[in-house]
Amino acid sequence: MMKTYTFHVSGMHCNACILMTESELKDVPYVTNAKSSLSTNSVEVTGAFGGKAPEMIAEELTKVLRPHGYTLSVERIEKNAGWGDFAYAIPIALAFILGFAALQKAGLTSLVTGSSVNYGTAFGLGLIASVSSCLAIVGGLVLSLSASSAKEGGTWRTQSLFHVGRLAGFFVLGGVIGLIGSSFHIGITANVVLGIIVAAVMFILGVNLLDVFHFTKRLQLTMPAWASRHVVRGSKHDHYLAPVLVGIGTFFLPCGFTQSMQLYALTTGSFMQGAMTMFVFALGTFPVLALLSFGSLNIAHKPWKGIFFKTAGIIVIALALFNLLNALATAGIINPLFSI
Amino acid sequence: MTKPILISILVSVVLIGGAFWLATQSSGGAASGTATIVDGIQYVDISAKGGYSPRVVTAKAGVPTVLRMKTSGTFDCSASLVIPKLSYQKFLQPSGTEEISIPGEKAQGTMQGLCSMGMYNFQIQFL
Repeated sequence: MMKTYTFHVSGMHCNACILMTESELKDVPYVTNAKSSLSTNSVEVTGAFGGKAPEMIAEELTKVLRPHGYTLSVERIEKNAGWGDFAYAIPIALAFILGFAALQKAGLTSLVTGSSVNYGTAFGLGLIASVSSCLAIVGGLVLSLSASSAKEGGTWRTQSLFHVGRLAGFFVLGGVIGLIGSSFHIGITANVVLGIIVAAVMFILGVNLLDVFHFTKRLQLTMPAWASRHVVRGSKHDHYLAPVLVGIGTFFLPCGFTQSMQLYALTTGSFMQGAMTMFVFALGTFPVLALLSFGSLNIAHKPWKGIFFKTAGIIVIALALFNLLNALATAGIINPLFSI
Repeated sequence: MTKPILISILVSVVLIGGAFWLATQSSGGAASGTATIVDGIQYVDISAKGGYSPRVVTAKAGVPTVLRMKTSGTFDCSASLVIPKLSYQKFLQPSGTEEISIPGEKAQGTMQGLCSMGMYNFQIQFL
């Protein structure tokens, strides 16, 4: 006998979740139909349950959905902002921020000696750049984008495309500036504006990652359901371009190391040398950035993902403020607050 | 209050304390210096690598000044020098000395110099 029950779902926060829960539930042999709703955080399940109590059904279906981070219940569970997660997230985030500050104090830049650049030093500079001040801007952006993407149900493909875009972009653009012998050197105003935009994007994504404030729902950069459908089901046409473009775009992010590499690349006067220098440099930054993006993707399916997203949110917000204050100081609007 | 929250607050306080301790530590290199005057021209020497050294230089106000930025294997942000008051922005060569002249009438008050991302800075105090 077919019966329809409505269960409350906890853990649904995005349009991709609707498709995820629906498709997972439909895979259960005795379920014939499932319809999820984000606005009410509920799911309507139709199937032949064989006279089981609703509590039993909720428990059974939860077993199916738990690996994806959702639980079903008969009673409505008050929206839990996960305040308890902050008990772990705040100290972890602070430890990271402190570690980052200590790393800057440690004087990594003095590891680079000599004034000539070969591929070895370019790689070394990339490695250092990825844990230095550039981490505040490039790493912060990667963390906020990949954690958000993972939270929205993005796949490893999105993350990989970003890195492919970054490496390819550095190769091609590095070659171009080597060939034409002049950089896309951006002026101070553009530098400041870019810094503020990046800080703003990071701030919004960071607040969304915290997942506590309702007012930010308005700011939320969620993917529309039709886009999520393609991402979840792995369409071959969508969401290839965006991550690639963002990856290429990191070439222009204000990062001191990137800029000095570009300066060197343009003095080479050859496409291959310029391209290889920038490519090797980007390769040097890859391990840390890959750790950030694939790490977030991996953690997004762990039971303690709530702690991770909140930790990432706090770190991203802190870095956004750091970048914003630095941008304003560079513009001469405020006095520098940070001195490393 | 539950135990994790108490532990969390404790750890947070320790970490914030640590951050303040770090912030008050001056990083390597001389913290302050003075300008030298040769033949009526004032020279301010600052080396740029992983930050600027010395961080604070005192100089005489109203004297034509030459700021000499010294780099040696500098690939980090400190090579990307910005001096807002002079509307000066330049990417310093990885190794060498860059001379920036500051006319006497601009040599007033506190002049701030920083790297284009803003986390390294120095100041010249014209007294």
